[in-house]
Amino acid sequence: MSAKNRETANVGAGNWKGLGMWAWILFRVAGVVLVFYLFAHIGVISSARLGGHHTMNTIFKTFDKTLFVLLDLLLVWAVLFHGLNGVRIVLMDLGIGITRHKAMFWACMAVAVVCFAFFAYSALNFIADKGGAWL
Amino acid sequence: MRTDVLDQSRGGMWAWLLQRITAVLLIVGFASHLISTHIMAIGELSYDNIAHRLASGFFVAMDVMLLAAVLYHALNGARMVILDYWLSAKAQRRALSLALWLVGVAAFIYGLWALWPWIKG
Repeated sequence: MSAKNRETANVGAGNWKGLGMWAWILFRVAGVVLVFYLFAHIGVISSARLGGHHTMNTIFKTFDKTLFVLLDLLLVWAVLFHGLNGVRIVLMDLGIGITRHKAMFWACMAVAVVCFAFFAYSALNFIADKGGAWL
Repeated sequence: MRTDVLDQSRGGMWAWLLQRITAVLLIVGFASHLISTHIMAIGELSYDNIAHRLASGFFVAMDVMLLAAVLYHALNGARMVILDYWLSAKAQRRALSLALWLVGVAAFIYGLWALWPWIKG
């Protein structure tokens, strides 16, 4: 591979248009969201040590409100999209499926959607059963 | 060398490899983490619920592994995003890596401190 090809080979998933571009953009957006969530998550889990059991349980009660359950579902989608697109990237790096980018992408997304369905069923069931207030 | 410069702009070989290794650990770890919290314990999340889970050595090992792996993966990912747009000088890149390592180690220690009452049991 020439130096010029090397330079552009792995930037923006190769093609700055179409499906590959969107996969790259959404992967990155989800990744950045998850970095912020990680630190928020560490903060919430440390509430038990900072404020005691009751403080933590009060925060968790808020997370049972409908709005938070739906936000949580959005978070699950961010994890699944980032994770399954990441599986595709790892497979590409191993040389698996490098001639069939689009098929690989949609296969990974199909797995993500099936997994998401389980979480969505669980979350929507919870809202229907015990949900009440939005906030 | 041109190749060295290009490899640096991609974050280096070891960071690339560790990003892949932590990715695989996170796929497996998050499957366990999300199923046990979002499906098995939905609506039951509480201090005692976590205590119940962390009474098992499996979940303690899983949570500590996830904490370390996710911090590395997240901060290295943030580094890759930053390097795509900013910081071209070598000294700046080094400073960024050092800063992110400090944040990561501090967050890992803080996370362990937060989990300690459950781990101790």
